[in-house]
Amino acid sequence: MLGTQPCEARTPQVPHTGTSPPAPRELRAVGGQGRAVAAGGGRRSGAAPEPLGGAPRAGAALPRISPASYRAWPGRTELGKPGRAGPCCLRAAGGESRPSPKELEELELLNRALEKALRVRKSISKTPLEAQVALAEKPTGEGSAFENASEQQVPVSGRDVPVSREARAVSKKPASMKKPSPYQLRAPYRTDPDVKKTQRRAPARCVSQGPRTAGKSSSKGAVSRQGKSHRPASSASDQGVCAATELQNAPGSSKSALKEQQSSIRDSSGEGNLVAAGRQLIDAGKKSCGSHGESSRKENPTAEGGSTSPRTVTIQQQGCQLKLPHPYRKAYSRNCRAWERSRLCQTSADAAAARKRFTERIQTTFCSPMPALSPVEIEEELKVLQDIPSLLSQYVEAEPADHPTLQREYESLLTLEGLQSTVSQCLRKLQLLQAAVESQKRLHPDCTGDVGSCCPACVPARGRACGGAGTLAVPLLWYSSFQELRDLFALKLQVSMLHQEIALQKLTMTELLPVLESEACPEASAAQLYRAIYTQLCEGGKRFPVLVRDELAD
Amino acid sequence: MVRKGPGSAAGRAGAMPGGRALPGAVGALCRAMPPRARLVPEGLRRAKLDRPQATLDFWRLLYALLKQIHGGKWSEADAIDTQIRFVKLALWYQGYGRPELYRLPSDGSAGSRELLLAFSWLLHRISLLEQLLARNRVRTGDETSVCMCEDDLSQSEQGTTEIAPEYGPEDRVDVRYLQWLNGRLRFQWRSLHAQHQEQCKLLHKIHLLTSGSHVDQILGHFSVTEMDLIRQTENYKQLVQLLERETMQLEAFLEWKQLEPVYWQWMETVLDNMAEEGNMCKPQDAHIEKSSLPKVTSCCPWADSLTGQINKLSRDLMALRDQLHELVTHRKSAWEEKVKARAEDLQKEDFAATVRKIQEAVELKLLDLSNLCAPKKNKVHGLCRLVYRSKHSASKIGFSRSVSKQPAPAVSATEVIRELQMREASLQRELKQLREECRQRLDEIAEGLDGVICISP
Repeated sequence: MLGTQPCEARTPQVPHTGTSPPAPRELRAVGGQGRAVAAGGGRRSGAAPEPLGGAPRAGAALPRISPASYRAWPGRTELGKPGRAGPCCLRAAGGESRPSPKELEELELLNRALEKALRVRKSISKTPLEAQVALAEKPTGEGSAFENASEQQVPVSGRDVPVSREARAVSKKPASMKKPSPYQLRAPYRTDPDVKKTQRRAPARCVSQGPRTAGKSSSKGAVSRQGKSHRPASSASDQGVCAATELQNAPGSSKSALKEQQSSIRDSSGEGNLVAAGRQLIDAGKKSCGSHGESSRKENPTAEGGSTSPRTVTIQQQGCQLKLPHPYRKAYSRNCRAWERSRLCQTSADAAAARKRFTERIQTTFCSPMPALSPVEIEEELKVLQDIPSLLSQYVEAEPADHPTLQREYESLLTLEGLQSTVSQCLRKLQLLQAAVESQKRLHPDCTGDVGSCCPACVPARGRACGGAGTLAVPLLWYSSFQELRDLFALKLQVSMLHQEIALQKLTMTELLPVLESEACPEASAAQLYRAIYTQLCEGGKRFPVLVRDELAD
Repeated sequence: MVRKGPGSAAGRAGAMPGGRALPGAVGALCRAMPPRARLVPEGLRRAKLDRPQATLDFWRLLYALLKQIHGGKWSEADAIDTQIRFVKLALWYQGYGRPELYRLPSDGSAGSRELLLAFSWLLHRISLLEQLLARNRVRTGDETSVCMCEDDLSQSEQGTTEIAPEYGPEDRVDVRYLQWLNGRLRFQWRSLHAQHQEQCKLLHKIHLLTSGSHVDQILGHFSVTEMDLIRQTENYKQLVQLLERETMQLEAFLEWKQLEPVYWQWMETVLDNMAEEGNMCKPQDAHIEKSSLPKVTSCCPWADSLTGQINKLSRDLMALRDQLHELVTHRKSAWEEKVKARAEDLQKEDFAATVRKIQEAVELKLLDLSNLCAPKKNKVHGLCRLVYRSKHSASKIGFSRSVSKQPAPAVSATEVIRELQMREASLQRELKQLREECRQRLDEIAEGLDGVICISP
């Protein structure tokens, strides 16, 4: 919890985030017991805090938490602890009946957090949510960074990653905490149980706000950087607007938001530093509430004008009722039908015959010993064969060495023989291809200039195969779940990355190994050089070997 | 007004059946070409008649078209001899074998008939028109490529050394700089990954939430472009125009398909003309032809690169073959011994039938393999449009539209993922092999280092 102070009983009780029904009651009860709606629960004793239902409720109206109120609580020597004893909440504070100034300050912070949370919740309208799809579960560090960037734009900055990562690790950073702007707690301090919680998506946004802005001394800076790169407006309050809109649009979600925040804060802080957590909330709250003035401006990063913004808000809700504009629809349908007809159109028999005649005739005028395969065909065949050795190796390795029955053994033997013949076939094909390459080389049109200049002209042929190969239809790629889409993209990236890694590996091998082998480097740095090269070449730069000096004891 | 070419009006053997349809065919062909190509019926006619200006225009036309096919960058300002060289190479690459074309001068002064022939040959051989239409298609969907062809760096011969700063023998590059670069590279990959994932999320969101709104039932949902179109219709007026223009192109294409026999017949007359003239000139050209045979010794980077690949593959396969040979002989002898030992038992069990069954099973198993060894003709390549179809809606949509006709080509993400996984596995193996090799070499080097023992992680 409050790691700074040795286990003195602290005011805040952590409401159990898992249980939503008691939530309203949690908050209601909080004030009187100085409960903060912040997690720190990770640090509490293993027992979950009793639902706040168990705690004495201070009634509907909660007075502002003040040190005085603590004293008012009967039988409490520890601050704000209604009899629940965790290991942290100790007696070390012993007979102290007066809270220390630090604690007071912390109380103050917590109060403010609560106020803001309440304010935010109160200002939530009942308009539909302009939130992320529930696919944003617990946002990962990176995900959260991006979530806030913008809805539609894919963030391009790589900085986001470190920002959010940092933020995650951070929460312990008390650092230069800025004084939160003063707020007066408004009574009645109560959550409205009628405000329904629609979706838990807004919290996702809110959550990602929290940890990210938490505790970073330069959080403002980071945030505005974020804002700059992704929004027209560059003020840090952009983030706030974002959050504000979320919270605004999510009736009743703020309590879930806060709960999410709690749990996320719990996750991210690893020590449940309550003060930091409180600060997180304050920041988030401040950002959301502080920009209330602008809250009328709905979040719309790419809106050209006000006319489109109301639409944006409801797009997610009414996605299935959207209609494309009429001129586009018309043009699209006609285009689509034309493509379909073209695709199904087949060459008539006459045309096919005419083509054949012409082609045959012209081919008789070609150079007489025409190679069987054109260069493009050679390349295609070769491409197919690229993966064969590794595929065949896999098959070979799949055959076990020992077999239980005679039948199995026979089967295995036959398989191996089959593989053998496949290998021979491939080798023969390679020989044919080599011969074809030779004969095509002879026909290669001579370049008058230097040879290097004709090379680039050959290379663009590389892009040819992927041109759609003459099919008049863009194939459709079905995916049936979000996970599939993600896997697809991830795998494609992985394959590209591997291609590059292999190319780099080959290159560095040829460049670096000779350096070591030639022993052209001074003895002192040879070992270091060796180590570095070893890492790069054998471990992909990730792990290091250990070099031990081999000094024989005398 | 396009007049019929003299070839068709002349009293050649048998009147041209489609004498009047030729302008229609040629016109349709020209209209179906991409606008940037600027092909006009006049141009074709002039090419046949070997008009001087026609040659230059035709070279440029072929250059533009072939560059579009090959996906390279080009501009009309490229020098004519560069253009000519490129066209010749591209034609050679596709397997065009008429020597006369390769002998054409590189200032573009003669030979438009040859070019016309080459053009027609391309029309048929590589389905030039269809490819152009497909490549220049107006894209309104979310597209992604399913093959990884463009990644095959092994074919790239471009010198990468010119990108790197040149270091003289005096300068030494600190290996830590390399490490840093490597780290940065890895970081960039990671952030790219993160961005892709984010993009997926947003894409999916749009797909999911707009399901059912699209005009096209098969697609079902909007793409990012269409979504943006709704929000900012003003920005997309051009899109509508492009779509309309493309529709007209497609209609011209359909017209062409109907009228094309006439065109091919016309092209045969071109061949006839050239054959006649060729007969007259042949004795003179014969010795010229011989002397201009390309020198065999000129080195060709393309051939070298392919030879390199072929050699590597051969080495791998030969190693495999030796391994298999050993394995098979060993196993075979063991098996034969076992069979001999139990010969009587096996006869009782009718082993022969079992053997036959096993043989069939193995054949089936290996059939897959041999399919993999042959190039797949209808493998999906290039860009595909991403469409989300949840399992539950797949049954809902039914097959109303496409059940009667040929279904549109489609591929499922599951298949692509599987292939990519295989690809990834084989690449990982290759990388591992390379690293093993490095490890061995470094171990050897380590022995040379005095006083240091290396303990690998």
